[in-house]
This record gives sequence, C-alpha cells and structure tokens, in this order.
Amino acid sequence: MNSDYRPMRLDEIDDSLQREIKEKCGVDVETCMECGKCSGGCSNGHIFDFTPRKIVQLVKLNAEDTLIAMDSLWICLSCHLCVDRCPSGIDTARILDYMRQKAYRKGVTTRPKISLFHELMMSSVLRSGRVSELPLLMKYNWKTRQYINRKDAVLGLKMLLKGKLRLFSPGVKDREEVRRIFSTGNSKPTGGRP
Amino acid sequence: MKIAYFPGCSAHAMASEYDRSARLVCDDLGVALNEVTDWNCCGATAAHSLDHELMLGLNGRNLATVSRMGFDKVTTPCSGCFSQLKRTGFELKSSETARRDIPRVMHLLQFLAEEVGLDRILGSVVKRVRGLKLAAYYGCLITRPKKITEFDDPEQPMSMDRILRAIGAQTVNWSHKAECCGGGFAVSQTSIVIDLAGQVLEAARQAGAEAVIVACPLCQSNLDARQKCIEEERGIVYALPVIYFTQLIALAFGHPAGKAGLKNLLVSPFPLLERIGLL
Repeated sequence: MNSDYRPMRLDEIDDSLQREIKEKCGVDVETCMECGKCSGGCSNGHIFDFTPRKIVQLVKLNAEDTLIAMDSLWICLSCHLCVDRCPSGIDTARILDYMRQKAYRKGVTTRPKISLFHELMMSSVLRSGRVSELPLLMKYNWKTRQYINRKDAVLGLKMLLKGKLRLFSPGVKDREEVRRIFSTGNSKPTGGRP
Repeated sequence: MKIAYFPGCSAHAMASEYDRSARLVCDDLGVALNEVTDWNCCGATAAHSLDHELMLGLNGRNLATVSRMGFDKVTTPCSGCFSQLKRTGFELKSSETARRDIPRVMHLLQFLAEEVGLDRILGSVVKRVRGLKLAAYYGCLITRPKKITEFDDPEQPMSMDRILRAIGAQTVNWSHKAECCGGGFAVSQTSIVIDLAGQVLEAARQAGAEAVIVACPLCQSNLDARQKCIEEERGIVYALPVIYFTQLIALAFGHPAGKAGLKNLLVSPFPLLERIGLL
C-alpha cells in the first residue's frame, strides 16, 4: 500500500458546487445516504456513464468538469423515478437539468443529435409559439443528413395518411410576447447547429 | 361544470384523435372545456433540458392567461404539458414573490377521476365495454414527482383502472404501468424508445392484455407508431392496439368509432372491438 495514502475527507473538499445547487435548484444533496434506490429504478440507468447515485456523489466531490462532460446528462428521460424513490427527497432530475443547461451554455454535448433536436424544437417555438411536428421532423432529418431513410419514410407516410402529421398548424397570434419570453431566458436557439 | 383547457401542440396533428375524443366525452359529461386563449407551447422536453427560465416563462404566460380568463383550474390531456405547467405553478407558488392567483393544473385523467367522478361517468355509459382485458398505462409524468403532481400513486396508480372498470372493461395487474416509454427521444434517439417501449409492450402481453390504454400523446406514439420496429427488433408480433382512455369512454358513451378517432390509430383496434361487439 502506498504510504502516502490518506482517506479522503469530505470536510476538506471544496463544497461550492453543492452550495450552488442548493441555492439555485433548492436541492440539498447533504442528506443522501447512498442507498442507491435512484440508480436501481433509473429508466436509462443501464446505459448511463454515471448513475444517479454517482451523480449525487460527484456533486459532493465538486467534480463539475466530470458532471458537465457526462453522457447521462443527455440521455436522462426526466421520468422522475429517482426523485420519487429517494428516501431523502433529493431531486436528482433537477440536478441533471441544471448541469445539462450549464453544459449547453458552454457548448458541450455528448449527443449532438439530441441537443440539435431540442434546439430545433425551441426555434420552432420561438418562430410560431408552437411546435409543428412534420416541419420539425423534416428539418431534423435535413440537418442530420438523413435524407433517405426508407423505414422513416414509410412510417411518415402512414402517419400522414392517418392524419397524425400535418404540414401546417396554427401558431400563436401574439408572437411579440413569445419573443419577449425568449429574450429573458438564458439560451438563444441558433436554429440548430449540429 | 367548466374548466380551462390546454390542448397542447400534439392536439393539432399527432394526437388530434385524443383532443377530439376528450372534447366529446367532456361534452357528454356536461363539462365545458374553455380553450386557453392564444396558448403557446409548454416547451416540452426541449425547454427544461436547455433553459429553466425559458420553461418557466413559456408556462407562466399560459398560467397567467388562465387566470385572466377567470379560471382557477386548467386541465390538459398531455402528460408532457401537464408536467411543465404543474412544475411552473409549483415554482411560482413557492418563489419569494409568490402570487396567489396561480391556477391549479390537473391532468385530464385526474380531472375526470377526481372532479367529475366515477358516478357521473357511469351515468353516461350506454354501451358497456364488456369482454376486454386492458393494460392501463400511465407512464411517468402523470404521477411523478409526487410532491408536484399531487395525483394518484407514483408506483401503483389506479385512477385509470377504476374508470376502465366502471365502463365495463377488465384491467390487468402488470409491472410496467408507471414505467417510462422513452418520452421525447422518439426521433433523436430512437433506440432508447425501441428498448423502453418494447419492455412496456412485452409486460402488457405477458399480463394477458389485449390492448394498452394511454393518457399521453407521447406514450401513444411511442407504443403505437414504433410497434412495428419493436416487433422486428424482438421477433415477436404484439399487435396490441394503443388506445386513448378518452376514445374508449367515447365508445362506451355510444359514439361511433370514427367520431372517437379510432381510425387514426396505426395498430388497428377494429378486430378487437368487432370481436366484443362494440362496433
């Protein structure tokens, strides 16, 4: 055993991220008892690089760089199972939202297609106040260069025939008000950079 | 009885049959649905994923409109819209500059189960849906997180089961009624939906269900439109119709299948409905 070894002491670790999350999100990770019910229930836990329990520990360890770069941020389904199963009432989904928003502002994403889809959706809302599914899908396929995908084309055609996709749908009348809401937000949709 | 109504973006196309059947059923129950004036998108998964303030702003505008219309309650058939509106209301209420006039947000399932009640629903039934074994599927956002939604049980919800039983159907006990279908990743990460929605369909099949009943446009689309892909992936033919709970109530209230929008579903429910003589 390395003679320099000394156990890590939590009271020696910078707790600025933990305090930041408590202040900004109202989530106190101090009460975590590491039971792991959050990770056991997590809908996508089997493909997460860091499971919810680890994420809470990373907050305690002030590991902001790791949190911002992790894949879990982008494939969290926000199903809130972790929140309801936590005996300490820790809202892990809110922590993931907060860290993802931070990553996004820094231009970091591990899943460019997912963040692109979010962006295209938001630019549709910015433009008309609502989301039109078909134009959104067409734009997404165009940007991701999925011009000819037989399976999607067949499904799209079926949905079109069933009235599940429409080219036009009415938008909000007060567009000015919608633009004002966007200008107070923290992100500016760019119309989708891949 | 009247309440403000927030249809949500998918009501225009992807889930138009849900919107239509919801209006039909409420009309029969004597509930006036007043559409929120000039409503905007709730931001869905995208807004809360990228920008918390934007999510609050978008939903804050809709909640303020509801108050201006003179309503203290608003209902929405979409679980995604419900979740975003509900969280915004929750945060606005608990913020330092708390406003008192924030309307209560209720999912349509919650409104029908709690405010309208089983007795009134039963009172409008003209054709009981006998001989059907159904899997009531709630998905994640109707009941979770509990401290915000204040509705039903997040692990073992029963409100939809009770309604379906009241109109004459049988519901199965099954493991996945409150699991996630893959939500908003239908397009950007389809493999996740194929995996999770596949688990839901498999659980419904194993429980002996003949159809899955849903209360969310995303759940419906993931289980219905992606069912062919899931079948190819798993090598099993499910052929499970995925029907909105309002569509089934509309049938029980005596409306024809076309009016209830059953023709809009990709996996046809007609063989099943013909077998039990509901058509």
